[in-house]
Amino acid sequence: MTGLFAEIQAVAGRYPEPKSAVLPALRLAQEHYGHLTPEALREVASALGTTPAYCRGIASFYDMFHLAPVGEHMIDVCTNASCALVGAAQVLEAFERELGIRAGETTPDGRITLRSAECLGGCGSGTVVSIDERYRQPVKPEDVPAIVEELRRG
Amino acid sequence: MSAPELVGGSAADRERIAHELVTVTIDGRQVQVPKGTGLVEAAAAAGVEIPVFCYEPRVGAGIGACRMCLVEIEGMPKLQTGCTTPVTDGMVVHTAGTSEQAAAGQSATMEFLLLNHPLDCPVCDKGGECALQDLSFRYGSGKTRMTFRKRSLEKPIPISPTIALDRERCIMCFRCTRFSQEVAQDEELSAVNRGALSMIATFEDEPYRGPFSGNVTELCPVGALTSTQYRFKARPWEYEQAASVCGLCPVGCNVAVQSREGRVQRVLSRNHPEVDRGWLCDKGRFSYSHLYSEERILTPRRRGVRELEELGWEQALDELEGMIERAQGEVVLALSGSETLELAYALAKIVRQGAGSDRVVLPEQAADALDPFRVPISALAEAEEIVVFEECPVLDRAPLIELWLKQARRNGAHVTRIGPSGDIQRGRGEAALACQELAEKESALGKRLRAAERAILLWSGGGGAGGCHLAALAHALGLHEKEGSGALLLPASPNARGVAEAWAAAGDENRQPRQIGLLVVSGDEAASEPQVRQLAEHARATVALTLFAGDSGEWADLVLPATGYLERSGTMRNLEGRLQRLRGATGSPARRELSWLAELAGRLGVDLPGSEAALFTELSAKVLDGISLASLGDRAPLPPRVEAQTFEAARAESPPTLLGGPLELIRYRALFSGPEVEHVPELSFQRPAAEVEISPEDADRRGISGGNEVVVRSNGTRVTLRARINAALLPGMVRVAAEHCAELARGVEVSRP
Amino acid sequence: MAKAKHPILVLAGAEQGDLRALEDYRRAGGYASLEKARKLGPGATLEQIKQAAVRGRGGAGFQMGQKASFLPSPGQAKSPIYLVVNADESEPGAFKDREIINRVPHRLIEGIQIAALAIGAERCFVYIRGEYLSEYEVLSAALAEAEAAKLVSVPILVHRGAGAYICGEETALLESLEGKRGQPRSKPPFPALVGLYNSPTLINNVETIATVPKVIELGGEAYAKIGVKDSTGTRVFSLSGDVVRGGNYELPHGTSFRELIYDCGGGIAAGRKLKAIIPGGSSSPVLPADQVDLSMDFDSVQKAGSFLGSASVIVIDERACMVQLALRIGQFYMNESCGKCTPCREGTRWIEMILRKIEQGRASHAELDLLADVCDRVLGKCLCALGDSDAMAVASYVKHFRAEFEAHIEQGGCPYGDTSSLAGVRSPVDEIYRGRIGQEAAL
Ligand SMILES: Cc1cc2nc3c(=O)[nH]c(=O)nc-3n(C[C@H](O)[C@H](O)[C@H](O)COP(=O)(O)O)c2cc1C
Ligand code: SF4
Ligand code: FES
Repeated sequence: MTGLFAEIQAVAGRYPEPKSAVLPALRLAQEHYGHLTPEALREVASALGTTPAYCRGIASFYDMFHLAPVGEHMIDVCTNASCALVGAAQVLEAFERELGIRAGETTPDGRITLRSAECLGGCGSGTVVSIDERYRQPVKPEDVPAIVEELRRG
Repeated sequence: MSAPELVGGSAADRERIAHELVTVTIDGRQVQVPKGTGLVEAAAAAGVEIPVFCYEPRVGAGIGACRMCLVEIEGMPKLQTGCTTPVTDGMVVHTAGTSEQAAAGQSATMEFLLLNHPLDCPVCDKGGECALQDLSFRYGSGKTRMTFRKRSLEKPIPISPTIALDRERCIMCFRCTRFSQEVAQDEELSAVNRGALSMIATFEDEPYRGPFSGNVTELCPVGALTSTQYRFKARPWEYEQAASVCGLCPVGCNVAVQSREGRVQRVLSRNHPEVDRGWLCDKGRFSYSHLYSEERILTPRRRGVRELEELGWEQALDELEGMIERAQGEVVLALSGSETLELAYALAKIVRQGAGSDRVVLPEQAADALDPFRVPISALAEAEEIVVFEECPVLDRAPLIELWLKQARRNGAHVTRIGPSGDIQRGRGEAALACQELAEKESALGKRLRAAERAILLWSGGGGAGGCHLAALAHALGLHEKEGSGALLLPASPNARGVAEAWAAAGDENRQPRQIGLLVVSGDEAASEPQVRQLAEHARATVALTLFAGDSGEWADLVLPATGYLERSGTMRNLEGRLQRLRGATGSPARRELSWLAELAGRLGVDLPGSEAALFTELSAKVLDGISLASLGDRAPLPPRVEAQTFEAARAESPPTLLGGPLELIRYRALFSGPEVEHVPELSFQRPAAEVEISPEDADRRGISGGNEVVVRSNGTRVTLRARINAALLPGMVRVAAEHCAELARGVEVSRP
Repeated sequence: MAKAKHPILVLAGAEQGDLRALEDYRRAGGYASLEKARKLGPGATLEQIKQAAVRGRGGAGFQMGQKASFLPSPGQAKSPIYLVVNADESEPGAFKDREIINRVPHRLIEGIQIAALAIGAERCFVYIRGEYLSEYEVLSAALAEAEAAKLVSVPILVHRGAGAYICGEETALLESLEGKRGQPRSKPPFPALVGLYNSPTLINNVETIATVPKVIELGGEAYAKIGVKDSTGTRVFSLSGDVVRGGNYELPHGTSFRELIYDCGGGIAAGRKLKAIIPGGSSSPVLPADQVDLSMDFDSVQKAGSFLGSASVIVIDERACMVQLALRIGQFYMNESCGKCTPCREGTRWIEMILRKIEQGRASHAELDLLADVCDRVLGKCLCALGDSDAMAVASYVKHFRAEFEAHIEQGGCPYGDTSSLAGVRSPVDEIYRGRIGQEAAL
């Protein structure tokens, strides 16, 4: 039994039914494997007493799960209405320029993935950028080089 | 009108509610229906059709996904879905027929459904029986306003060797995934992604593996899920269809056998609500192509110098007649439990009256002890308490029963399994003991059983005397006095009891010959029995009637081609005691048994009617109280219960001592085994893996972990298998599918190589 | 934060700084209401909530007390009663729940405990959107403190979502919480009768629940006097878009958009003109600038043809191309459709395709009519309100700004050229439908 398996079972124990823990379980597996590989899904399934097919059905429904490899760092730039009104397009472009990739891609060295995102819930001071699940806001195009530099160094 | 589908509540609640009537008005027509009836059903009762796609009560309550059933309900501001709305008293409903708003809703749904649907009806296997095609003729506009490229996806991908998925055609009704998650509970099929990217998928490239997978091909309302065997074979209107029953297990699911040009093209469910509720297992659905296997024998064969040689029918009958003469009354008939009553009766008559013998080998007997506790299989769904004495897995014996048990659990029943890997672990041969204890000793389960209004006992495996043990317990619990309670035995073969009745109808004596002059083996099932094989070795001559020469070819002197159950007409008695009619598909590549048996009977001076119907009439007069074939109908009724007598509880035998090794080998006949499966390449992925199930304790003690290659050994025989840890298995036992442990004795040892 | 000329209730005490620490919250009077409610007992507590006439802050605006009264009483229920707090906040424009959790997490916890007491709940769940990692940590820390101080008598489980807007819809939320795909259930039956694990369940928004302690503190009747008739109390308005000082402002219902935008938000920069207002998050139909004096309460906004919804006010100035805005919003709904029901799954995609064609200047007038008709064909036919939101929102842009749509068609492109504030805006659907990293195969 791996540590992950035990961890998942422990989380499952906090819910009225083990299957309810599928989101936290997938999250743990993703942290462990980097993305949800077939092996990761099999492990989650066996820890929760369900099938990998079921787990993939769940994982593919949610934006925060990755079924294919992603970079070590994840940059999500909100491009929804409020941020769009205050220049999200320019912020996204600045990231693309700085990283040399298009939104939806990962840098060739596998370090950084860039995506545009739906509303992140920080509309009052846009553009909101979530980096590895931590928000930065407001981000202006001119802030981007420093952010990328920081990620590259870190 | 079909019974209302009510969600939640106890069976008693449901019954009470069902007795209250409500009045609703649908398109101006008033109907009275039981409270809780769904709107779709209530409309049907009023003669109004509400079209549906996603709604299929057998996979669960309506989910309101496709939006085809939109109706206007007075007092509600928005359109409502008929499939999710239970009617209430005084409800006034307007369907698309009388409401502009509802009609607009329906036409919107139709347009959206067709937006990305490929117009490949001419090459789609569903053509002619497609709900989307039918409803778009009736509700669609006929032209598309979609000016963009339709979504294009990889054309059919096999999601298993038996099922193809064409995602472009899928309308996302979730019938298949609900079946997989809720009904079969295999969870192998699931929807992936979200929104317009949603699609149906198995895990990675793995096949949909599950004993009931094929049902999704019938559930799919469009041509998205189709059977690979049937692809591009024919159009629905080109068939001849026979209303028959499946002859592969004692459930006897009602099937429609569709054939064209003398060949069976597919087998579909025919929904007997008390027996199968419209489901089939994959063996029953997909194994028909064994009939056209190259290995099937179609002409008589005789043992030549080295191997079997073909010979003409005339010669074959001469040969057989000679064999019977030479045997001088020392004839033994070994009957398969898969024969029809009629065929068994015809054979019995020839053997008893023509060959002057009264010796028979019958399949494991299913006694009539349970007749006072008779219940339809469907009663399982309403039961509160179910106890399964499960020495052989229910799934392998009578697969549909396993589905009914799942449904029972969904409806809130307690299901307790007693056996080597049950909730209550009992060793092999201890089922009778467990029965006795339950009847005599105080226990929590016993209390629940006595208190339950609906309790059902099941016996799966563990010897033919099971019926008596179970009857004693059922009697002690008073199940004969409670409607909806009862006891059922799952015999090892489809028609064991019918075959015994047929034998009895042809004579009333059983004699033991000193020697076997001729052994007559009917059917592949009997031919595969080790006991029959032993008899064959002692017999001076053996004749076998089989589909394949796999077993019989090794020892029979004469092999005569048999027909398969899909080609036969006749009757079989299923595990409930229901007598059901088989109606064979038109045409068989092999000569029908009755035609040459009649010829043989003529030579032997036996009066044998030449048709199944006439045979039935004769046999019915002798052992079936003269009931008529017509009274069985297309969906056979269950015979009434018989009066309960007092029961002499059979003594529980003590299990035999083990020879060969310390672990007891449970050898089981897996569902996907036998000649009907072995000759269908598409089913090979479902066959049991070469593995041995072992308890964690026994595995630990031997340093074995799951997936290890291990040697299973007894009396100098050994097989190499993969170990699978089964945490539910009682220590001291190991389980192996029969085909992987043919030569092993009952006691075995398992070790790392 | 607004000046104290208005009563501050939900965010009370946090004007100067966060009240994350239990000690600080207590000093500001925290958990006194819980004690009061315990003394009152379930019946009287529920009665206060009913009297306060608090309408749900999550979007639909249903009265909390009324919804709670649909639940079976604890004695009658055959299975446990659950309380679920909706902290999924993913509606474009909405960020008030995040603020509440960040600044006054204990008020939410206190509200949960009072509500649970009032309805006899056995367990509580907070479903927080997955992206709110810091907020999850803040709430978890506060919960741990409250538990240690024995303030939590009905257990609370904080459950993180994983990025799907639809999980904010109450029944999709329940499915997701049960470990299923977050697809809404058909209603009825409503969650009050058949909810989480088929048990009676009360679901409320974070702000709704965080209002409860103040209701108990002031008394239902006194609370109901704040705000206006049928829209009682204060509201945390999320102000964003083209304003100088975006942010959350707690104001009584009945305040006008003008006061929010100009008095609190400092108006639009560089003296630009107001073009339109989205009054209640992206789902609510857009209002033209002339509605700026409208009162921000449920009924007034509804009468004006929109919804107050989640009270997320997005300000749009004259630089915005409304076709681009409609497209971006249409892309959001297409991306977030769960895929369960036909009109939403197919309709949101079709709407997006037509909008994009119009925006690119490749569409015909007939296609603009088709767009309006498709919206109409989606509206009122879907399983949940997501499809309706798309249809209503998009239709409102066409209705109020039809000339701009026509200009795109006639000029073969955006009349604003590169000067639109939304020029070059992109959306995840651009990536996902091209095959985005980590996602399943695209179409
Ligand atoms: C598509 C959709 C998304 C929703 N998202 C949220 C949300 O993020 N937060 C929320 O509180 N309510 C949301 N709702 C409303 C909820 O369904 C529900 O009405 C609300 O949680 C009830 O709480 P309330 O009565 O306190 O407002 C959403 C509704 C829909 C149709
Ligand atoms: S494959 Fe068929 S059954 Fe499954 S969701 Fe699609 S249309 Fe429905
Ligand atoms: S049949 Fe009712 S929504 Fe599909």
